[in-house]
Amino acid sequence: MKFDSVKLGPDQLSFGFASHPLRYGLNLEVGKGFVVPEIKYFPRVGRDLKEEYKAITDGVLKRAVGLGVERLQLETELTYVEMEVPGLAGEIVRLQKDLMERYAQEYGVSLGFRVTVADVRDFGKPKHDEQAFSKMLQTFEDVSSNGADVLSIESEGGKELFNYAVIRQDLLGIVCSLGYLAAYDMKKLWKEIVHIAKNKNILAGGDSACAFGNTSMRLAGGLRDNVIAHSLAAIVRGMSASRSLVAYEEGAVGPGKDCAYENVIIKAITGYPMSMEGKTSACAHSSLVGNVIAAACDLWSNEQVENIKLFGGYGPEVFLEVLHYDTKIMNGAIKSGRSLLFREILIDSDKYLDPQAYVLSPEVACLVADTIVRERDTLSRTISAGAKVANLLADEKELVLGKGERRFLEAARGRLDDIYGAPQRKVEEALKEYERKVEKLKVRDYLEV
Amino acid sequence: MRIRLSLIIEVCKNLNMVLASPKIMDKQEILNAIRDSLVNLDFDKSKEYTEKALEVGIDPQEIILKSVAEGMEIVGRKFEASEYFLSELIVAGEIGKEITKILEPKLKGVEVKKAGKVVIGTVRGDLHDIGKNIVAMMLEASEFKVVDLGADVAPEAFVDAVKRERPNVVAMSALLTVTMVEMKNVIDMLKAANVRNAVKVIIGGAAVTDEYAKSIGADGYGANAVEGVRICRQWIK
Repeated sequence: MKFDSVKLGPDQLSFGFASHPLRYGLNLEVGKGFVVPEIKYFPRVGRDLKEEYKAITDGVLKRAVGLGVERLQLETELTYVEMEVPGLAGEIVRLQKDLMERYAQEYGVSLGFRVTVADVRDFGKPKHDEQAFSKMLQTFEDVSSNGADVLSIESEGGKELFNYAVIRQDLLGIVCSLGYLAAYDMKKLWKEIVHIAKNKNILAGGDSACAFGNTSMRLAGGLRDNVIAHSLAAIVRGMSASRSLVAYEEGAVGPGKDCAYENVIIKAITGYPMSMEGKTSACAHSSLVGNVIAAACDLWSNEQVENIKLFGGYGPEVFLEVLHYDTKIMNGAIKSGRSLLFREILIDSDKYLDPQAYVLSPEVACLVADTIVRERDTLSRTISAGAKVANLLADEKELVLGKGERRFLEAARGRLDDIYGAPQRKVEEALKEYERKVEKLKVRDYLEV
Repeated sequence: MRIRLSLIIEVCKNLNMVLASPKIMDKQEILNAIRDSLVNLDFDKSKEYTEKALEVGIDPQEIILKSVAEGMEIVGRKFEASEYFLSELIVAGEIGKEITKILEPKLKGVEVKKAGKVVIGTVRGDLHDIGKNIVAMMLEASEFKVVDLGADVAPEAFVDAVKRERPNVVAMSALLTVTMVEMKNVIDMLKAANVRNAVKVIIGGAAVTDEYAKSIGADGYGANAVEGVRICRQWIK
């Protein structure tokens, strides 16, 4: 399905409401006028994995019941460790789902279960590591058969070039990575994931450009850091929306994955419900967008917390409680008819602090979304989204940008304009050059779909 | 007319000047142009002026000292003043390296001394390499010889590299808590191979801390790339 128009305008792009609400799992609804907490966790190192996941799930659900949580989503994000042993991921998921079913039955809590499969491919290997690709698809099959309700991934196609380009602030390399290589890889991968999800009658949730957008966010860092321009991180965020949109064009329906901050733009385009993370994911990483990113969420996540003992309980239980109170405020605002007012407060608290926050405010996100849908293909969409963000940032008087940021933006606008003039030719020529410079880059393997 | 033009060229040469489009440049101007193109991160111009400098017989060592080193110093100051980004420092370092490559054939017999040698890699199971790459590039810009083993590196590969390369430092990176345990495996295997005392070990990455570094017997922990390079420099001094 090609998205050629924007589904939600700036006034409609608000937390708790999606154009296409979803119902799945154990009677869970999302995007239907309330925000659902989504808790994410990871086991302690050196523990028995099955025991650890069982303890986490039980602890989280017990706390949820104690707090009066009515709706909740759990997310298990697998790593290469769980995927190394055949069948282990499926066993873990089954064990967790059994517990969820028991709590749903005993306490009437509505539950959803997202499972994210790790992208374990080594793109430097022949055919992009076919063996690892098969392992990923087998894991999707296993977790789908054992109780997953939503399938997600943070796929990494194009990442080998992106890593090279982003630390050099090389926009052509970033365009080649996100708008060309990643697009090919997403198409191939999501065709398979959607197929598996449809066969099992569960949801293909969506992909996250974590490896791109969040890498840039981490490199940009805080207000006093200057590894890369914060404007570049904002531009990458805008560009990554066109890349992540490919999953939905292949049939994903949401809810989009939490760490995909580009989900604000994706939600504007698709109208599908989206999970997002911000201030309550500070346990996983810092950001300058902690409040503004909540403005349009349908699920609200903590990103990930280790199962370590804190004074108030184990990490996942504690963060579930924080998420619960976060969502209670949002849901309270909706119930009392003050959601747009509360949304404005969330936006205003961050919007002009940093370019990365600015680009994620619904009004700006809608402008970027509109730019994306006007273009025909992912490559042109990527370049146009980047150029739009660069232009908006450069023209915004309320943003306080330093000399370096201004200098970068000026150069970025020129560079993106230049690429837009002949995108296909420039990208194909550049990729030949990048193949010489980036050891793992094998362009041909991307094109063999 | 032909005679008069060649006469002008000869005069210019005698005055240590050259004909450069669109204007005539003297030696100092060429050195400045190389320096400025490095500061402006303009690879093409830096290459063009370096080749021009060699054409007119400017001493390669002078180009390194007056253009590359001075340019890098300016870029470093701009970075410290938050005017430049670390990424630009890295690009400037790469341009500096490219200039040195052009000069290398003319530098035969002149030893370009390295600050030290570092074997670097992201540990087994971890494919995250961006932080490691930044450290590697900054080490190279600081005149270290870097042997980059890549990502997902087995402990045995670190040990083999230490035996083969005889580095001053082994640097390991891990983003994930599930992979950071491999750092201890590497250190244990270095001990078992009797090469632990021959190298300093530094670790870094989102998963690890100073405390963890101490607990596994590493010599140092770099909270970020700049600190990691600073520690390596201190060790080599």
